[in-house]
Amino acid sequence: MSKNLTALAGRKGKGLTNNLFERIAGLTEESGPADKEALRQLADEFLVGNANIYGTATFYDFTKPDNRNKKVYTCNGSACLLAGTQDAVKAELLRHFQPDEIGEMCCLGRCHENGAFHFNGQNFSACQPAEIADIVAGKASNGIDRYRVGALGTPILTAPFPEPEACKPVIAKMLNDSPESLVETVRKSGLRGRGGAGFPIAFKLDACRKAAGEPRFIVCNADEGDPGAFSDRYLMEERPYAVLLGMLIAGYAAGAERGVIYIRAEYPESIAVIREAINGLTEAGLNGDRILGSDFNFHFKLIKAQGAYICGEETALLQSIEGKRPEVRVRPPYPAQEGLFGKPTVVNNVETLANLYYILVNGGEKFAAVGTQHSTGTKLLSLDSSFNTPGLYEVDMGTPLAKVVETLGGGSRIPVKALHIGGPLGGLVPVEKIPDLTVDFESFAQNSFLLGHASVIGIPESYPMVRYVEHLFAFTAHESCGKCFPCRIGSVRGREMLHKAQAESYRINAELFNDLVDTLAKGSLCALGGGIPLPVRNALTWFKDELAPYFE
Amino acid sequence: MRVAYIDGTACEIRPGETILAFLKRHMGEDCVPTLCDAPNLEPFGACRVCSVEVARPGNGGLKTVASCHTPIEEGMMIYPDSESVQKLRRNIMELVLTDHPLDCLTCEVNGNCELQDVAARVGIRKVRYPEGKNHLDRTKDLSHPYMTSDLSKCIMCYRCVRACDEVQGQFVLSVAGRGFDSAIIKGMNESFFESDCVSCGACAQACPTSAISDIYQSKSVSAQKEVRTVCTYCGVGCNLAVKATGNKIMSIQAPFDAEVNSGHTCLKGRYAFAFYKHPDRLQHPLIKRNGQFERATWEEAYDYIAEKLTQIREESGPDFIAGISSARCTNEENYLMQKFIRAVIGTNNIDGCARVCHSPTAIGMQRTFGTGAATNSIADLKWTSAMLVVGANPTEAHPVTGAKIKQQAMKGKTLIVLDPRKTEIARYADHHLQLRPGTNVAVLNMMMYYILKEGLEDAGFIANRTEGYEDFRNNILNLNIDELEAVSGVPREQVREAAIAYAKAPAAMSFHGLGVTEHYQGTYAVMLIADLAMITGNVGKPGCGVNPLRGQNNVQGMADMGVQPYQGAGYLDVTNPDMVRKFTDFYGRPVSDKIGYTIPEMYDSALTGKLRAMWIIGEDVVQSDPNSQKVIRALEALDFLVVQELFMTETSKYADVILPGASFLEKEGTFTNGERRVQRVNRVVEPIGESKPDGQILVEIMNRMGYPQRPYTAKGMLEEISAIVPFFAGIRWDELGEQGKQWPVTPEGKDTKILHTETFKRGKGRLVFRDFMETPELDHAEEYPFILTTNRVLEHYNSGTMTRRTNNARIVTEDLLLINPEDARKNGIREGEMVRLISPRGQVPSKAHITDEVKPGILSTTFHFPELMVNNVTSDIHDTEANCPEYKVVSVRIEK
Repeated sequence: MSKNLTALAGRKGKGLTNNLFERIAGLTEESGPADKEALRQLADEFLVGNANIYGTATFYDFTKPDNRNKKVYTCNGSACLLAGTQDAVKAELLRHFQPDEIGEMCCLGRCHENGAFHFNGQNFSACQPAEIADIVAGKASNGIDRYRVGALGTPILTAPFPEPEACKPVIAKMLNDSPESLVETVRKSGLRGRGGAGFPIAFKLDACRKAAGEPRFIVCNADEGDPGAFSDRYLMEERPYAVLLGMLIAGYAAGAERGVIYIRAEYPESIAVIREAINGLTEAGLNGDRILGSDFNFHFKLIKAQGAYICGEETALLQSIEGKRPEVRVRPPYPAQEGLFGKPTVVNNVETLANLYYILVNGGEKFAAVGTQHSTGTKLLSLDSSFNTPGLYEVDMGTPLAKVVETLGGGSRIPVKALHIGGPLGGLVPVEKIPDLTVDFESFAQNSFLLGHASVIGIPESYPMVRYVEHLFAFTAHESCGKCFPCRIGSVRGREMLHKAQAESYRINAELFNDLVDTLAKGSLCALGGGIPLPVRNALTWFKDELAPYFE
Repeated sequence: MRVAYIDGTACEIRPGETILAFLKRHMGEDCVPTLCDAPNLEPFGACRVCSVEVARPGNGGLKTVASCHTPIEEGMMIYPDSESVQKLRRNIMELVLTDHPLDCLTCEVNGNCELQDVAARVGIRKVRYPEGKNHLDRTKDLSHPYMTSDLSKCIMCYRCVRACDEVQGQFVLSVAGRGFDSAIIKGMNESFFESDCVSCGACAQACPTSAISDIYQSKSVSAQKEVRTVCTYCGVGCNLAVKATGNKIMSIQAPFDAEVNSGHTCLKGRYAFAFYKHPDRLQHPLIKRNGQFERATWEEAYDYIAEKLTQIREESGPDFIAGISSARCTNEENYLMQKFIRAVIGTNNIDGCARVCHSPTAIGMQRTFGTGAATNSIADLKWTSAMLVVGANPTEAHPVTGAKIKQQAMKGKTLIVLDPRKTEIARYADHHLQLRPGTNVAVLNMMMYYILKEGLEDAGFIANRTEGYEDFRNNILNLNIDELEAVSGVPREQVREAAIAYAKAPAAMSFHGLGVTEHYQGTYAVMLIADLAMITGNVGKPGCGVNPLRGQNNVQGMADMGVQPYQGAGYLDVTNPDMVRKFTDFYGRPVSDKIGYTIPEMYDSALTGKLRAMWIIGEDVVQSDPNSQKVIRALEALDFLVVQELFMTETSKYADVILPGASFLEKEGTFTNGERRVQRVNRVVEPIGESKPDGQILVEIMNRMGYPQRPYTAKGMLEEISAIVPFFAGIRWDELGEQGKQWPVTPEGKDTKILHTETFKRGKGRLVFRDFMETPELDHAEEYPFILTTNRVLEHYNSGTMTRRTNNARIVTEDLLLINPEDARKNGIREGEMVRLISPRGQVPSKAHITDEVKPGILSTTFHFPELMVNNVTSDIHDTEANCPEYKVVSVRIEK
């Protein structure tokens, strides 16, 4: 990663105030992907060179010049793909738009109802031609979707959340105590990151507070890119104060004065709600200098992403905020040492942060009492349309997966052969393995799966596994940042082999395929290339017979 | 000892090192194959070919990690070449080869390709993947006079992008798109020629394949030999690795292990060498007969010269003969030239081009510190916390140092720039004080006023290490800030903030260039820069000091060797009887104790009949000295002029005898760079035609005129020099090594990175106050309302004698006159329009370039092309102390 570009983007008067990434995105929002002259002026202002600005602009789905003419985007996420709704959506859209006016977005978080598309800055779900025609004619009122929300066990995240005014005494009390004791409380809670890696948050907060450099940052990773997941979307839209106050609490613990929430552009509703909630915090005196009369300053900043799954990777996300190409950084240095603009930074997922207020109010022990010994608290799961009752559910860690499937999901609506849990890089759980699993990090890991973000997608019996694995490689190839060799080239070669095996008489050499998967697993720089082997290997293990005809 | 284990063997670890560095240290440079790693770049972690297996203590299992960016930890077990790792490397390479042409035999880097090496090493025999998407159809970019690209060969290791960022800091290269479709771009996806590329070549050198290269195919293996030498252009002193076959230079690269330039250099050093075999090179002596130059033999030329010089000396005395030596020549040659003038001719009429550039630095720093040379080393940039750049444009004129300063500034170190122009470096500055040309003294005084006002002086340093503080302080505090603010045009608040930033920095380093010295108050401005350093305690420690950016490869060495009329070799005073005795004994001939002529005095004396003969080596005074018409008249007034040159220049046209010298590639000796580093210049090819190394010419003429001088060898000359120049005492040709040594070098051979650490050379540092005085040049201001200042561009060097005879002339084709948009509008001048520049001395036509790089009322231009001859308008005003011409303030008016 370029230390020069990081420092230049973070210069006095720039940084978050006059943010390079927002400026590049702003040009796009004004008039479609920016022309070269406008980009050149930005390069001059930020002293970062034409090539870097152009390089950034061409990286993202929304700012890249190819998207200049796009007017409508269909969702190509896994759930919509498996539900088979998108051909019809696209066919209807073609009656209203030119082919080159229709783009694709990866997962609008409408996995519970499918038929998702993005039009005029809003998301919609519709499968009927008439409905679609109404929407593009501007006759549909809004695109707000409905899904079931429920809980088994202790509702922490789905419980009603107080208004900011009511939170003030809690925050005031926190500000009276030391950041050290807050970190200790969080440590006792055992809270681990919900974004996928399961890293203890207290450790990061502590490391950041002890690292040299000002200002420090809390970054809320709200770039929920995993197709199939909509739990962060739920939290942002339904529990925005839990998320934002979680950032503020983390900020106090980490000695950070700035909180950045980076939300994917595919979630326009989330952006609107969070923006409104930040205003609410400002009015309540919970955003700005000297929070509630203390010495603690905390400033919120919302940044709208521009369409790149890789930005869910924490270092790519930081690169993105700095206006650079969101290519994954090497670690060390870790963000807690040198993060945003080279300053100590804690990056955490929405759901992780949303737990902090509960921990602050109830204490670490009470949180730790929920769930299992190593996976404390609860977990949100998002169930897609393959279930009878799709929706967003909260369960105590350790809850049997079968119970989630049967009790909350109401069983499968259609015959399914596997559940894809934890996003595209999560494990493919064959239905016969469901009884063996409980919803916690350990159970999934021990069974060679991954809890990840706990999105659950049902793979229909009728959907060829080879085609699904090809889809996973295609997804990886589309979203690879291109920095590390195994992911950049390997994802494409994997897809090509699987495609060729379906389209032609070509049969895949198993040794070569295993070498490829092994190379991705061992050699990739980040969890994208490194993660794709998990579901692929699961497929090879559990759907061996189905896949056999495609191999030599 | 803290250890980690390589295949079970305990090896010492060092704090902060990566696994790769650890392995290389114990197992040798090539122990682990890599592709995206490069010696002068930060770890990047893209190719993953350097992966190794690692087990951490207490953490059981084996893990595969990229060794280039994973830190070594105590107790780690490293398996650098396990089965699993070998297989991984092979598999990655196989993937790479699915998108790389397999045309190695016809590739320009065949045999010197890192991809080829790694593929061979990991043992690829077959690419098993079916044919798929690839980028083999990308077309070549041959748009640029030097840089080339063939991105079908690109493996996306980002080394070029990182070199452009981390080494040059230009950001011309980046990547567009993402994933498999990502591709290296120049600028906004343009060609090299259209982009802002400065052709430093760092990307081409960094590229492991031939994806980015240059017209010389520098990475090809066709050369027979490689010789390490030192660049002939600016005073940075870049080390060069020159490849040659027979008598032909094939290409030049920058060695990664060079302390001065670690793998970096600029387009002049790397690419602008073609002049050495240009058809214009003078290949045999010429004697002017009946107004025409005729080919002559060396014997004829020597006889003629000896006869004429002897005759003039006998008729008029030795003081009617003068020499101008050359900062482009080696130390040994400069020593010989001054020795020839002093010991053979018998006069102190010897001067060099330092007169017209850094003579005020030499005098100013001698008066304040006792030594007229940079106090610190460029490497000190690492330790500094603030950089002050006064009247210098290092990214153009000292590109490698400029890039280093810019790198520090970009990463957040404080940068203060005093310059009338918005230079490249000023764009990155925290404080740019855009003063009116000629007011350095005013602004420097203001800075010191605010430092003392704020109580930010270093009282301890002032008390222990300096003298004259009381007077100095009173004078500074009595300054009329209103007046200085008005005269300089810099708001006082800006000056105050910059002054505070400089004074508060734990270590602040200053750099200055000709924008300081080439002024009426040049020497005084240098002294104030020294004062500024002294009152803030910024002398004698790492990361600080006063560091003149010397313009020419060996301008430091030229002065060191005694090329000045008042000091002999080693800066020994020619009027001091002890020194006169010493030189007389050493040379075996009586030397004069009378101070000789400076260059401007030579012209004046010639015009008044007090000088009859001159010998000029490697200096185009007609084009580069001010008031060209006067210089021409002076040369015409001489009875006899000898010019030793590579080319027929504007000056050599007036010669009676022209002697063909040899270029730096054709000779040996030493150059001393701007940080006092004496480095070896090694011969790569034989001198062209009948030309001879300048030192050899001087030795031959000395012998011809009866002085027994041993044949020219660098080793032999250094033996003689080290016996007379005190700070060269320990310099031996065989001991200089590849990095050279920074003087003073003790008799035992120990060199010196930082001067004045305990005491100043002169004892205590002398604080001297000087008030601002307006240059008399501005007496013409009413009739000539614009101030013209002269500057340089990256692509050309001084009068362009060499660079115009290379492809650099295809990049920058002419001198341009910079004019502010407001002035252009008022005068109805359009971009690219020809205007006339008129001064009291004369007029020249010039092409206008409209830019806000200059403020209203200020014009700026270069003098690289003889077509412009801007020195027809420059003035006769000189620095009051050092007699350095004031190139930087010229009263002019413009007419269409």
